[in-house]
Amino acid sequence: MTATKAWVTGSFLLAGLVVLALSVGTQGFGWGDGGSLVLLRAPRVLAALAAGLALGLGGAAQQGVFRNPLADPGLTGVFGGALFGIAVLLGLFPEAAWQRAWFIPAAAFAGALGTSALLALIGSGGSSARLLLTGLGLNAFTAAGTLVIAARSGESRELLTNGAYGDWLGMATLELTWLPGLLCLAAALLLLPLARSLDLLSFGEDAARGFGGAVGGTRAKAVLLTALAAAAATCLVGQVAFIGLLAPHLARAVVGPRHAKVLPLAALLGAGLLLAADTLGRGLWPQAPLSAAAVTAVLGAPLFIWIARRQHG
Amino acid sequence: MAEFVIRALGLGVELAGRRLIDGVSLTAARGQVVAATGPNGAGKTTLLRALAGLVPCAGELEVGGYDPRVIDPATCARTRAYCAQKPVSAWDYRVADLGEIVGDPAGFARWLEKLQLGEFAARRLSELSGGEQKGAHLAMAFAALPEPFDGALLLDEPAAALDLGRQEAVRQAIADFAHAGAACVVATHDLAFARRCDRLLVLAEGRLVAAGEPASALTPEVISDVWGEPASPGR
Repeated sequence: MTATKAWVTGSFLLAGLVVLALSVGTQGFGWGDGGSLVLLRAPRVLAALAAGLALGLGGAAQQGVFRNPLADPGLTGVFGGALFGIAVLLGLFPEAAWQRAWFIPAAAFAGALGTSALLALIGSGGSSARLLLTGLGLNAFTAAGTLVIAARSGESRELLTNGAYGDWLGMATLELTWLPGLLCLAAALLLLPLARSLDLLSFGEDAARGFGGAVGGTRAKAVLLTALAAAAATCLVGQVAFIGLLAPHLARAVVGPRHAKVLPLAALLGAGLLLAADTLGRGLWPQAPLSAAAVTAVLGAPLFIWIARRQHG
Repeated sequence: MAEFVIRALGLGVELAGRRLIDGVSLTAARGQVVAATGPNGAGKTTLLRALAGLVPCAGELEVGGYDPRVIDPATCARTRAYCAQKPVSAWDYRVADLGEIVGDPAGFARWLEKLQLGEFAARRLSELSGGEQKGAHLAMAFAALPEPFDGALLLDEPAAALDLGRQEAVRQAIADFAHAGAACVVATHDLAFARRCDRLLVLAEGRLVAAGEPASALTPEVISDVWGEPASPGR
């Protein structure tokens, strides 16, 4: 399929999905009097779109910069770092953390950047196994840290536990959504121009530098912006592992591996997948909605296995 | 007086405490194809990477009018192109994608034709043999230098893993590139290929053992000293 066709089809599907998502909720199907329910649901839908976009694009960028199809901010501990950053802030300053809109995104960014930097320092430049093992180690460490803090901070325990299960979309209000949403968009807009550099990097460091790519600059920007995307998405939804892996693979299966096509389509697919997962989770069980992360994992795992078999024999 | 595209004086490369290149000097003029040959571990690849500015090195170096160690990557890419011995891609691009990635799809398609690979433009890299993949990456390196060609083309084992027909096509493409005004340095194990170049450098253990026109540089004594076996007509 051409990139244009994929974009047009994807945009129509996403628009339909947005209408559906605005129509589904614990109150049943419908828009309420004068669209009152739509206004209530809009922040959640916007949060899912922004987070999904950042997750899809962040995953594609991380795979590009590490030249590794298994790299995903969820598996490599970057989301874990973001949540750990939030946990540290909430654990140390449970009240002050909410006084400014940027405190929690900043803590998430610090955590995500810390794990990204460690991943780049320790895990890159070797085999896939080295990158993934480093990422798994970081993930386990940050998850344990978050759980320890959650266990010791009475007020934030439920909040952090929900975040670890990717169940924060239900809290979305415009007040909580606008800043992380904008950060997701900013990270996405700044990642898109890296497409050619990521293509060059896919031939290895020597080749990339040989063809005029600024390898160090590209790596630093991609790591920084992926951390920003992961942090902003974590603030909106909590930890969702699968979308950063699935969206780029789906995008590559549709339009091929050029990053100029993969990055925007992965963003579109990421937004669609997260919104679909969230809508399904609350549409099928309105009284006890499933978290977007749980639905993503249930539906995403078989889809990912199918893509892996198709693409890698 | 020859117009030198590459001037290197006393190049030295040391990595992890090992001296890989030691005091190598060379020049390559516009229109010249220079072969760098020698046994495994002689320093051929390191020499090419040093000339391309891809590895820290000591000594004086000028490629296409600039020192590749200090200029910005974009300017550097306009003065020299480099193709590694075993180029690999993390993603399974279509061959034609390589032309877009390098920024000159039309030029890439022309070089692909010259290398007898035009019919593979729509295929994915994974659908090509190792030699065909190398050819596609060579076309990428050829297309990377902007016209008029007055820079340096640095190719590591360009004809390895190719059949005889494509070896000749690669040799001809390199010669065409040089005749258009560039200087080419080719690292190769293939002495028959090296003998057909304009100049030849013989390296051993990082040092320059012989240099000059192939007939004078690649004597039976040099072959015997460097490769440790009697010269044979087949080599």
